Amino acid sequence: MGHYSDPPLLVLASLASGPKHGHAMIEDIARLCGSRLGPGTLYGAIARLEQQGWIEPLEPEERRRPYRITAAGLRVLRAKLTTLHQFTTAGLGRLEPL
Amino acid sequence: MRPWLARMVTRLYPPRWRQRYGEEFEAMLELGPGDLGTLLDSVGSAVREHIFPTRGGSMERDPNSFGAVMRRPSAYLPVAMSLVCLVMVLGGIGVGLAQGGQIMRDKDEGSMAHIFQILMTVQMPIVLFFAVKWLRRAPRPALGVLALQAGAWLASCAPVYFLHL
Repeated sequence: MGHYSDPPLLVLASLASGPKHGHAMIEDIARLCGSRLGPGTLYGAIARLEQQGWIEPLEPEERRRPYRITAAGLRVLRAKLTTLHQFTTAGLGRLEPL
Repeated sequence: MRPWLARMVTRLYPPRWRQRYGEEFEAMLELGPGDLGTLLDSVGSAVREHIFPTRGGSMERDPNSFGAVMRRPSAYLPVAMSLVCLVMVLGGIGVGLAQGGQIMRDKDEGSMAHIFQILMTVQMPIVLFFAVKWLRRAPRPALGVLALQAGAWLASCAPVYFLHL
């Protein structure tokens, strides 16, 4: 409890602010929600997201390759965050009388 | 993480995965801490990749393959421009043959001729940009694309040259 962990969603949210390579994503996600993804977990999520066409690789910068979110990825991110927002609003509403 | 350890951890992944992500993954491991948590996460992920390999998507394609390079606007736009010119020329010939039974030649250069000249000329800086950018990064696919661009350009010019249009 305390840290939100859904690696693909975290990667999408990180890339929503612009293209990033793996290490920059880890740092950004740590700032965003306090979860520090392991390299294996991160690349597992990157591979799945790329497979689904929700992110795409850019030209490599030396040995590092940045990724960017696609239009489809943005739609998925918006839909997932909207669902989460509805969930948190409803959950917090239930806590109010307590 | 020390480079030799990063290399060893990366080698735990299947060859196909390494071919696609190996270099960038190893570079990222070298930037991060080499603690036990990182090692366990990477080893666990490598084992998962052996059991449930990532399939489809870009795992099947090299970002510097001919297909990937061909999808760049600077690669396909010149080919598309040449093909538009070719269709215009062949269309003009076809219409001429259908209407008068012979190839129609304008004494003055009409709008089609101007469009042809613009399209054939404007693609030159695009081809140059493509060559400068891609010949260094991916020489073989870039040469293939350049050959295709040259072929399309020559195919568009051939009827104009041989039929004296």
